[in-house]
Amino acid sequence: MKGFKQHALLPTPQHDEQARQDFVGALRGHLSARVMPGNYQLFERRVAPRFEAEQGRPPADEQEVRESMTREPYYQFWSALQRRSQELLWESVIDPTEREWQTLIDKSRGVRSARRRGSLRLNPDLPLPRYHAAADIHLQPGGYHTDFRADDVAAGAIYDKGINLYMGGALGSENDLMGNTLVAYLRERHPTHQPKKILDLGCAIGNSTVVWAKAFPKSEVHGIDVGAPVLRYAHARAEALGAKVHFSQQNAEQTDFPDESFDLVISHIVLHETSKSALVRILAECRRLLKPGGLMLHLEIPRGRTPIEKFMHNWESYNNNETFSRYMTRIDLLAEARKAGFTQREIALEEFVPKMDIAQMNYTQHFLWKILVARKAGVV
Amino acid sequence: MATRKMKRSRKSAPAATQAPAPRIARVAKGKKPQYFSDPAIDKLLWMTVTLMEELSVTRDRLDAVERLLAKKRVLRANEIDRWKPDAKSATERDVRRKAFVDRMMRAVHAELDEVLRTSHRGAEDDPVAAVES
Repeated sequence: MKGFKQHALLPTPQHDEQARQDFVGALRGHLSARVMPGNYQLFERRVAPRFEAEQGRPPADEQEVRESMTREPYYQFWSALQRRSQELLWESVIDPTEREWQTLIDKSRGVRSARRRGSLRLNPDLPLPRYHAAADIHLQPGGYHTDFRADDVAAGAIYDKGINLYMGGALGSENDLMGNTLVAYLRERHPTHQPKKILDLGCAIGNSTVVWAKAFPKSEVHGIDVGAPVLRYAHARAEALGAKVHFSQQNAEQTDFPDESFDLVISHIVLHETSKSALVRILAECRRLLKPGGLMLHLEIPRGRTPIEKFMHNWESYNNNETFSRYMTRIDLLAEARKAGFTQREIALEEFVPKMDIAQMNYTQHFLWKILVARKAGVV
Repeated sequence: MATRKMKRSRKSAPAATQAPAPRIARVAKGKKPQYFSDPAIDKLLWMTVTLMEELSVTRDRLDAVERLLAKKRVLRANEIDRWKPDAKSATERDVRRKAFVDRMMRAVHAELDEVLRTSHRGAEDDPVAAVES
């Protein structure tokens, strides 16, 4: 992919492996530019008018759009192709990872035994939440958590290249778009906040965590996740990129950090991968971990405004193992934050458009992030 | 690629007792959606896209070969059209061809695998129940 940084922990594809990834890029680029927008046109010109002729009113909500759209052959065909392109995406990345598997494991072991900036703390006894165990998120085989062999880092290498392909390179040269977006938000809307200690929840390969470590080089930056292979990879990757991050294998619902440990607790498109009860527990844990005056920022994906947009945005939930994501569409995040102990005065749900190019959109042509914000009461 | 893997595993498996080399899973856990009223259409489209990919990869590879050979001035006109594989080449081509067919037919295998898995181990974890709790 053009502009993607080939750092030390990424496998180097051979000819056919590269050709496979190139095909996946071409197919997905075509689907998002030429096929996906047709669903909106189909809805406006045929599905909505027909619904209105029969019912005397337009479709009222996402569910009514779903019942009509999923019967449309055009939508069915796009869905089936989009789903297959997602499977092929992972396959195209798994092949070179498996071929260079031992080298990648050796490199990550080498980092851990060498002089290093950050650290890695794993907990093999940590129970895997059901929302990870029940289905492999985004169809990545084995998810974020499966060790296919000792000291495995494959899930991390697969995820790193996989999300680059997923967004057609739009996540940036180091998959840093989300991190950059949230850093930009903090600097624009909270310019005086200078965090000394930062915690990134559900950090996976630390692609956003590294952005924070580089943006705030004097801060102590932590990243937690439940998956061991992504954390081993995250640690080695951060060291290879010259960033100091302390990674540990923990569940964001209940961590082992003391009360009031952090000035800033963040997550990047993580909440929609959890569950109803986990969401409240995570927000309550954020509140416990924040120092008085500390900030909580959860970056979330756009959910759409009209029924057809909501339906299209939820494609991933029904077709790409983002099971909880459909519930997030209907959840009042501020109400959940209040359940978690935040007061109404402490919280806000903000919209933010980063000043960056988004080259490839899979489900919509408009991009708008939502950020759940809380500033814990008290003096810093 | 499948050929390369098979060759490697043959070389590195001198004793029959040696455990098979670990593999990374190729299929994600979770319920597979059905898009069309007839599941056969789902399978056919699955196979068609796989075939599109393989053809694209093959065309790229052939392009690379022809460009390299032309640059090195080793290939004359019509030489490929007149060429016939020897026994060793034919065997290797057979292995590769079978691996390709196997990959193409995964849509068909998956249905039987699903039947066997659910009848032997009971239902998989329900992802919806997992997030609703």
